[in-house]
Formats: sequence, structure tokens, C-alpha cells
Amino acid sequence: MKTHGALYLVATLLLAAPWLLPDYALEVAVQALILALFATAFNLVFAETGLLSFGHAAFFGAGAYASALLMQRASWPYLTTLPAAVLTAGLLALIIGFFSVRTSRIYFTMLTLAFAQLVWAVVHKWYAFTGGDNGITGLHPGALWGDVRALYYLALALFALGFALVRMLHHSPFGYALRAIRDNPARAEAVGLSPFGYLLAAFSFSGALAGAAGFLQVAWQRSAFPDFLYWTKSAEAIIAAILGGAQALFGPALGSLVFVELGAFVQARTEYWPLVLGLVLLALVLFLPRGLAGLGGRRARG
Amino acid sequence: MLAVSGVRKNFYGFTALDGVELHVEPGSFHALVGPNGAGKTTLFNVIVGRYRPDAGEVRLAGKRITGWPTHRVVRSGLGISFQRAQAFLSMSVLDNVTLAVLAQEGLTRNGLRPLANFPEARSKARELLDWVGLEERTHEPAESLPLGDLKRVDIAMALAGMPRLLLLDEPLAGLSRSERREMVRFIEELLRGLGLTLLFTEHDTEAVLRLADRITVLHQGRVLAEGTPDEIKNDARVIEAFLGE
Ligand SMILES: Nc1ncnc2c1ncn2[C@@H]1O[C@H](COP(=O)(O)OP(=O)(O)O)[C@@H](O)[C@H]1O
Ligand SMILES: [Mg+2]
Repeated sequence: MKTHGALYLVATLLLAAPWLLPDYALEVAVQALILALFATAFNLVFAETGLLSFGHAAFFGAGAYASALLMQRASWPYLTTLPAAVLTAGLLALIIGFFSVRTSRIYFTMLTLAFAQLVWAVVHKWYAFTGGDNGITGLHPGALWGDVRALYYLALALFALGFALVRMLHHSPFGYALRAIRDNPARAEAVGLSPFGYLLAAFSFSGALAGAAGFLQVAWQRSAFPDFLYWTKSAEAIIAAILGGAQALFGPALGSLVFVELGAFVQARTEYWPLVLGLVLLALVLFLPRGLAGLGGRRARG
Repeated sequence: MLAVSGVRKNFYGFTALDGVELHVEPGSFHALVGPNGAGKTTLFNVIVGRYRPDAGEVRLAGKRITGWPTHRVVRSGLGISFQRAQAFLSMSVLDNVTLAVLAQEGLTRNGLRPLANFPEARSKARELLDWVGLEERTHEPAESLPLGDLKRVDIAMALAGMPRLLLLDEPLAGLSRSERREMVRFIEELLRGLGLTLLFTEHDTEAVLRLADRITVLHQGRVLAEGTPDEIKNDARVIEAFLGE
């Protein structure tokens, strides 16, 4: 089948990239994979439940800081901080979700934004623990993860795992239950579904995955900064998902690739990246409301 | 089967239900009639736990269910299909009903296995769609169905848990004449055949008289009369209330 052929081609290219690309391009590719994981995590909530979280940066940052702090203060080897990063982010999402998922759409968006900005403010000011606005710098992920090739494969593996999990949920009864709640909450209750538990579980899981993306960012930058939790970071996931097409499972990843690559390309040449981005988004909304995945036609879900 | 006693419901000082009594006998078809705004839908909402009554109680097969959340009520033997036909429009007809079956079995928390790989729920859903006469349309997206078929999907979902009592709020509303006739026949044959207890509201008098074993008349939030179709037809208060509209 055609789609299978394309899938193998993409997989082969992704696996061979470290031998095809120069180091600089590979650095950009790692950044694209990190955003792809982050945006895919965000989109699990956005696409399946219809709730637009404007606070996913908090989970990205929670994962990053959990990892950075354990390396800096407890000298944990980088890779062993992954479970802690995922757990911390998931737990934070559980708490924020507990107060947010009950609210209706616009309030959900505002609440998640408010919570995330609150967490950002704490991280930004708490010099004794998080290093405040200086962040945590000079981290050594070790000889192996200092190599961009190894880091690329780690990012690829985590992205692939995250994508596979999101895809599995999408096709499972749990995924259908989420979409039922999105389509019609009253009818969902009338078939015996209690929305709160489903929404909270999806939100927490999504937060945990975003934490894994934050964990990767730490190795890429060898630092953690309060910026990781700022609302603009949440906006990156939103833009990537909409750019690629939120209604396609691979849409957010596609959008991330374009967003990061285009950003690197434009920024190397001009200082007008925000302007270019604005124009791209405008064109998108006007001509491709279903995102880049919409170019592939209606059967873009998979 | 269902016992509603002394139910009162206020909306900001307006009394929508005022001491309502309703007893639905097992195996009977019970109609709830009354002019628009009488409180029929409000009473349904109280029964299914969407509204909490300000006074009174609801019992299902002897068990007190007052104040239970809807998802719990529908998993204890009560099926509901509401005034506006409702389905999950992003899914196929078969997926709608499969999901309802899985929800009743408590399997919707499963995030590991594809929905399509639950063969028992799948065949149960096909059987339900067979009952409601939609076996030809199982793979169509729900959003492409005409209203009459959507109502059938809705009823198939309401039957997913093999309820003892089914609540239908205006099953004929919005249907064409031929669809109405078909729906009446369908309710009669299928639900009688299943031995279900039915509580329904309907404005179509002909359909009510044909389907109902008993009728309760609601007027301005109060029960005005209760009896067999013949008794109700000849009840002076009912005639007055309806002609006095
Ligand atoms: N959620 C609500 N808030 C305020 N008033 C309501 C609400 N639901 C119903 N009502 C009022 O209660 C009365 C009964 O409505 P309803 O139960 O829908 O009547 P019926 O279904 O018999 O036509 C109406 O006057 C309606 O305006
Ligand atoms: Mg009504």
C-alpha cells in the first residue's frame, strides 16, 4: 500500500539522518524531535478532548527541572532522571488537571495558562532551589549524550514511543470515550461515562509525555531555564499542532518539523522570524484550515 | 419499576415540578403527557440525575437513586434517549454503539487494545443495530445520517446495557409522517418483544393512545390525572386543561 511505502521511507530517513546530515543540521533535527514529542503530547488533549491547554509548558518545564536538579544536586546520571522527569510532570498535570478539566472550554484554557504562569513565577524567583532566572547551567549529560548523534537517537526513540502510545490510545476504547465526551458530554454521561476521570487521566498522561520532551531539552541545551515554562513555550506546541493539522495523529510532528526547520532557516538569514511566522500562520488559517496534513486529503488519520 | 414521589424542582423561584408522583409498573408502557412547559423533560432530568430535586425521591426497582450522577444511573438498568437525537458525530454508527456497549461493561478505561478488537462488544453492537433496523448503515459516519436514523442509533445506544426501564423523550419529534409511523411500529414491536418497561413523553396523541398502557398527565408541574388511555380520554379536567390552553 502507498501509505506503508511512505511510512517506511520516512522511518528509513529518520534512522539514517545522523549519517546524512552535518552536525549543525542534526542539532536542529533534535530540536524538531523534541518539539514533535511535546506537540504530540499537547495534541492528545487538544484533539481527543477538544480542550485547548495553554499551560503545557509547565509540564515540559517540570520534566526539564526534575532532570536538571537531580543531575546538579544528586549527581544522577542523565538517563536515570527520565522516570523522575516523567513522573514529576505527570503529577503536576494531575494537580493542575484536577482543578481545570471540570471547567468548560475557555475557562479551561485560561486556568491552564494561569497555573502554568504561576509555576513559571515560582521557578523564576526561587533562586535557592531552581537558580531563579539564571536557570541551571553547565550540566554534563555524560560523554555519550553529549554526542549529538546519540542524543538524536534518544530523542527519536522517545518521540517514536510517545507517538505510538498516543496512537494506541486514539484507537482504544479510552480514546473513543474521550472523543465521545468531546462530541457530546451529555450523551457520553447517558451511555455511562463519567467525563472527569477520563479527562483527568488524558491530561495527566499528556503532561507526563510533555515532561519527557523537557527531559530531552536539558541534554540538548545542557541547561534548564525558566523560559521552558513560559507561555510562549505552550504556544509553540499549539502552533506546531495547528500548523501540521491537529486532526491527524502525525500532524503535530509534521508541524514541529516545519516550525523548527523553517525557524532555523529564516533566523540564519533575517531577524524577521516572528513576521515570517505570522504570515505563515495567516496563510495557513486562510488556505489550509486543516493544517499541512489537510493536503493529504480526508484520510489523514492513522 | 420506577417510583417518583413528592418531587419538587425550582428554577430561580419558578416551580417547574411541584410534588410529582409517578409509578411505572414493570412491563408497562407509560406515557407522560402535557402541554409544552409542563415539566416533562425536567422530570426526566430529575430521574436520570441531571437535576437534583429540591424535594422528593426517585426509586428504581426499589433502590433509591435520588442524586446519583447520570453515568451511575444508566449503569444500573436505566436506558435514556433524549428529546434531541444525539450521537457521537465524529464516529461511525457501529463505533457509537460499540462504545456504548463497552461503557456498560466498564471496558472504556482500556487504553491498550483497539476498539475494533473487542469482538464481543462488536457483535453485540451489530445485534443492537439489527434490532433498530440499521444493519445496512453500520459503517457510515453518524454525521451523515438523517434524523430518523440518528434516533435509532440513539435508541440502540440506550439499549446497550439491556436496561429494564427505557426513557424516551419525544421519540417522534422532528420526524416525517412516514418516519413517525415506522417509529411507532418499531417501538411497539421491538420494545414489547424485549419485555421492556417504557416511560415516554409524546405530543402525538394518536401515537400515545396506541402505545400507552397508562398515561400520566402533567400540567404546570403537577400531576393532573393518571389512568388508562380510556380514562384519560374521558377525564373532564384533562379536556378542560387542554382546551383551556
Ligand atoms: N435549566 C432550566 N433553567 C430554568 N428553567 C428551566 C430549566 N429547564 C426547564 N425550565 C423551565 O421549566 C419548565 C418546564 O420545562 P420542560 O420540563 O422542558 O417542559 P416540557 O418538557 O414539558 O415541555 C419550563 O417553563 C422551562 O422554561
Ligand atoms: Mg420537553
